[in-house]
Amino acid sequence: MTDRQAAHRPTGSGPGRLLVAVYGILALAATARGIYQVATKLDEAPVAYLLSLAAGLVYIVATIALATDRRRLAWWAVTIEMVGVLTVGVLSLVDVGEFPDETVWSAFGQGYGYIPLVLPFLGLFWLWRTGRSGADDLG
Amino acid sequence: MIDPDGGRSARPPPVRWGTVIVPLALLIAALCLALAGWALWFVVRDRAVILRQLWGGAVVEAVLVVQAVVAGVLAATGSPDVDGVLLWGYVLTQLLILPIAAAWAFAERTRWSSVVLFVAALTVAFLELRLLQIWGTV
Repeated sequence: MTDRQAAHRPTGSGPGRLLVAVYGILALAATARGIYQVATKLDEAPVAYLLSLAAGLVYIVATIALATDRRRLAWWAVTIEMVGVLTVGVLSLVDVGEFPDETVWSAFGQGYGYIPLVLPFLGLFWLWRTGRSGADDLG
Repeated sequence: MIDPDGGRSARPPPVRWGTVIVPLALLIAALCLALAGWALWFVVRDRAVILRQLWGGAVVEAVLVVQAVVAGVLAATGSPDVDGVLLWGYVLTQLLILPIAAAWAFAERTRWSSVVLFVAALTVAFLELRLLQIWGTV
């Protein structure tokens, strides 16, 4: 698989072990919440609840990518996550209509201790950090 | 004629599941905090998770299974006090955390292994408090 680069430090090792664990917990929390919302009250706020589920799926992809050292996929997932939390965070504060009322990303992840806001930055830093040391080794 | 107990005499009084849910939640939270403390001690000592800690996690998991059964009954029979499906969903979600985290932590043989177990145990303890909030006792 061209996505895996053995020369680099695996993204799921050392501190990355913790990063993946936190991603996994958030993936579980967001997905469970999304499934519950979509299954029980989809018609109340379809946009918000489908977004909730989508956020959960993004976290699942990010978790698996980081855990299995699929760096390119991880870059994509974490970047989408960052765009998501910032966009939904702003929109939920401005409060446009019924837009994202209850999702992990609402108010920049306030309901989850702002972890959803911090996590993508840590994720991108970790991807950069683990990628860089490998490049040095190759040089 | 006025029915003295409002026509409800035909139905048996509802089982007070709250009398089981609350002590179970407190027990799980306490066990999780103990496990988290143990893991934190290992972080300080720069050690990886050991098998005995996983057995500790299995004990928590066993109590969680009991709680899941109770919450499942609650969701199936319906309760006027609480959203049984939400409660059940919370417990089912929690069932996944420790086994996955334990496997993930155990494969890493550095102190980060213990950090993972610490975070996972704290998460379950926190979710038990959220569960009590849903139940309406906190």
